[in-house]
Amino acid sequence: MTSAPVTNTDAAWLLGLLQAGDSFYPTGSYAHSFGLEGLVQQGVVSDRATLRDFIVLSALPALRHTDLPLAAHAWRAFGEANWPRIGELCVLSSALKTAREARAASENIGRQRAELMASLRAHPLAQEFLQRASAENWPHASAVSAALEGRVLGAPLTAVLAGMAYATLASLLSAAMKMLRLGQNAAQYLLTEALAATPAIITAAEQTAFDDIGWFNPWLDIAAARHETANSRMFIS
Amino acid sequence: MPEFSGHLSLRAATRTHSRTILAAQSFRAPYHLSKPYWDPDTLTLLAQVVNPTAGILSGDQLASDISVDAGAALLVTTPSASRVFKMKDGTATCRQQFQVAAGAWLEVMPEPLVPHRGCSYRQTTTIAVAAGGELFFADLLMPGRVAHGEAWAWHRLCLETTVRLAGELILRERFHHTGEDLRALAALAGSGPGACFGNAVLIAPERPTDAQWRASLDTLHGDGLWIGVSALRRGGWSIKWAARDGIRLRQGLRDVRKTLARYFPHLACDPRKL
Repeated sequence: MTSAPVTNTDAAWLLGLLQAGDSFYPTGSYAHSFGLEGLVQQGVVSDRATLRDFIVLSALPALRHTDLPLAAHAWRAFGEANWPRIGELCVLSSALKTAREARAASENIGRQRAELMASLRAHPLAQEFLQRASAENWPHASAVSAALEGRVLGAPLTAVLAGMAYATLASLLSAAMKMLRLGQNAAQYLLTEALAATPAIITAAEQTAFDDIGWFNPWLDIAAARHETANSRMFIS
Repeated sequence: MPEFSGHLSLRAATRTHSRTILAAQSFRAPYHLSKPYWDPDTLTLLAQVVNPTAGILSGDQLASDISVDAGAALLVTTPSASRVFKMKDGTATCRQQFQVAAGAWLEVMPEPLVPHRGCSYRQTTTIAVAAGGELFFADLLMPGRVAHGEAWAWHRLCLETTVRLAGELILRERFHHTGEDLRALAALAGSGPGACFGNAVLIAPERPTDAQWRASLDTLHGDGLWIGVSALRRGGWSIKWAARDGIRLRQGLRDVRKTLARYFPHLACDPRKL
């Protein structure tokens, strides 16, 4: 009796998520601070302590109430080929971001992620999404594209949301290291603390109803709006 | 105390000499409508909605539906803050809908919402603007009865706003912080224990002067006021401000309206004419 070697499918999607979440993956996220630079310019975030407060009070709730639920709903919609709902989620993601730079960041990163999935994996789901998004004029959204990645890779929802949360937090802290007196070890302490809070956030996000998606930090929105016309800046958003 | 199932329905339209009138109106307690005032200088009809009761109580269900026909211009305001009182149990809801036709103008500018300790309140605002219609909607929130040392002490507060332009979703916001979280955010931003918020939406077609008024609004930033302006995904603007107290909050709104009135003349209508 002969048997072909069994492919470990868990390892396949895990490797795919690691690739998609790596800073080496060309999503363009390295050029964004997602509003943090605006808060640094306003003097709100100035050191490790205030950065920690920002992560706990703003970055994690935004993931909990907005980006992760968007991705969860999109992951389910992709699984059902529910294209009207996917279009609705793309528009909703855009409408939830009132600061233009935050919206543009999500759209640019989302477009790049979707195009990479279509080109690197030559996957029909990604190709169909791009065709429909173009035909229907859907705005791209990083959360929807993260869900698309998950479906293309065959990753379960919880893993997709975990990968997305990691990429968001790591990207934010990477940007913070360029603006603040913050060393690599300090950034890793903050990342570890934030990641410890993430599983509960993921569980809650998975159960968030469509109509309950959304959250905003007024000061972050104001700072992001003012960042658009700042005299000097390091990041696009 | 009795629970109210209040309702307000207004339809503004134009009649002779392009004057705006209320073509249809109906209301039920706790809503009451003062006699409208036609402002000939700004060509705007001013309608003041009064809540003659002490405020919003547990079990109250308020619903308003206001529409403005083509060519009409309406400003809807309130004379005093809306207090949401402490609730032992239950909740209060307010559902408000606004429709603006092509060529119409609607401004909605109520006095601030003041959620008291232990209250539970949900406000749902749905705005539909036709292509070519214009709107200025401002929502003000105070943290509580600050003069009594009460702030950020509500039980549940959820403010939802949805704006569609020509049927397309252009803005969706959900403000549902716990008081504790918002207190911490205010402390982080340095806005202080009595921080207040203004959240406005301006819907208007793009025009060459947009950069001018935007730059003018940016100069209001400072001295206890944060303000930011950003373009929505299409057809309008988000204007947000955070103030150290209620006085600065109201002054911020007056300054925003005064600045914008040079470009949107209906905003020069004085809401305190009545």
